[in-house]
Amino acid sequence: MGILEVNRLYKSFGSHEVLKGLDMDVPEHSIFGFVGQNGAGKTTTMKIILGLLKPDSGSVTVCGEKVTYGETRTNRFIGFLPDVPEFYGYMRPLEYLKLCGEITGIEKNRIRSRSEELLELVGLKNEKKRIGGFSRGMKQRLGIAQALLNEPRILICDEPTSALDPVGRKEILDILLAAKGKTTILFSTHILSDVERICDHIAVLHGGRLALCGTLSEIKERHRYNGFVLEFGNEETASMFYDIEELKHPSVNMSRDGNTVTVLTGDRGMGGNFLLDVLSRRRIVPLKFTVLEPTLESLFMEVVR
Amino acid sequence: MNGYAAFLKKEMYEFAKTYRLIIMLALSAVFGIANPLVAKLTPEILESLMTDGIVITIPEPTVYDSWQQFFKNATQMGLIVMVILFSGVMSTELAKGTLINLLTKGLSRAAVILSKYTCMVLVWTASIVLSFGLTYGYTLYLFPGEEASNLLFSVFCLWLFGLFLQAVILLSAVITKTGYGCLLITSAAAAACMIADIIPAAHRYNPVSLAADNMALITGAAEPSSLCYAILVSCMFSVIFVLLSLSVFRKKQL
Repeated sequence: MGILEVNRLYKSFGSHEVLKGLDMDVPEHSIFGFVGQNGAGKTTTMKIILGLLKPDSGSVTVCGEKVTYGETRTNRFIGFLPDVPEFYGYMRPLEYLKLCGEITGIEKNRIRSRSEELLELVGLKNEKKRIGGFSRGMKQRLGIAQALLNEPRILICDEPTSALDPVGRKEILDILLAAKGKTTILFSTHILSDVERICDHIAVLHGGRLALCGTLSEIKERHRYNGFVLEFGNEETASMFYDIEELKHPSVNMSRDGNTVTVLTGDRGMGGNFLLDVLSRRRIVPLKFTVLEPTLESLFMEVVR
Repeated sequence: MNGYAAFLKKEMYEFAKTYRLIIMLALSAVFGIANPLVAKLTPEILESLMTDGIVITIPEPTVYDSWQQFFKNATQMGLIVMVILFSGVMSTELAKGTLINLLTKGLSRAAVILSKYTCMVLVWTASIVLSFGLTYGYTLYLFPGEEASNLLFSVFCLWLFGLFLQAVILLSAVITKTGYGCLLITSAAAAACMIADIIPAAHRYNPVSLAADNMALITGAAEPSSLCYAILVSCMFSVIFVLLSLSVFRKKQL
């Protein structure tokens, strides 16, 4: 049983159906990448988890407790970082964290020490400016600090890196990685390299449902198609290989580009061994024989197409 | 109710930091001092403007002129400025999304509404007390020995009307989400009250009487008991509007 479970979630805005029976299970202590195109329903899902939006049907449980719309007790387990976190511009970082702490009901001394600890973690310790003068990256970092203040069991981040420059992105990802182990992180994004960098689990939301779900390696394994790239010494050998009769089969798709031939086979029986066999029988030695790894991008494209 | 005290503190702090508190208090202070002064000096100013051949007889100013100034300014400028300053009470938070962080931290939605109303009431009360106190003291100094009847009761009525208006502001702010929408609904509600006042029978029950009969009360032309229904209606509607705000906000999708 996961720390966060989403069951058969439906939600539409007017006639536009955003979620069509979404099921999702987030295991504890994972960094869960929640991927989807713009408008796929990532933010909607998160807002339902937080009790800010009312689902048409379906349910969400957080740490075994059911989420109710409006005011939900389950939010005490959750820290939330909105995509563009907004603060009161007239406050300073410490003042804001103090307000958050008081609302959460943390005791006074604890707020102070915890705030300083967190501001140190996100690199805002010596920032005495009012939040109104903060850059986006700084606001995002303060957002993480406020989300971690109550030591949540789940940290929910809605596209925390989308609006940031490369340096800001790296900083945020490093902070999230540092928080791993202490908390479970659900992290929505459409930047796939971010997912590959820090996530161990991934779910792709498409068409209102999860089109892909699992650990990164599992998904890659499951979607490993038999693809091979062979590079030959010269074009003649390449075209010789390209024209071999045994490879003219409906389940084999070949393309040649100069010295390189790409072979995609749909038939498990016609995998790497078969190709090596053919090569050895014809006494052809390729310069390179590479097995194609599916990339997250190719998987994503395949799913959303 | 989670976070009421913390959020109220934040509201007061916000009011001070965004200059709205200063505007409200400064205005109250200026009017408070100016009311008796204008009453005292108006005849002299007019006299100095008089040229030969025109004779206007101006009665000697009294304590009533001072209070006339007070109620005129408080019910016109005072209430209008208050409505404008408070019209953004919800809209800025909803538009910017600043509430989301705090609500997901366990701040209850009821606490948001009630602390916002509390803050409005506190600021309004402070403004009335300040303005009234200054006018009272200065009037005593400029018009010694004269007294007005039912003075405190009359000010209480004005204060109560302010509370009623703030409940209207709160409800319309929760319903419309934008500052202008809030202004529009509040003005419409005030206009409706005034139009209803044309019907003589409605006057007894109309909250607007609380801000219209103040002079009649202190000159003795009206009895305090004549306003008891208006007070009752205002209290009732204030409570109803605050409760409605609570229930609308509780169901609002953010």
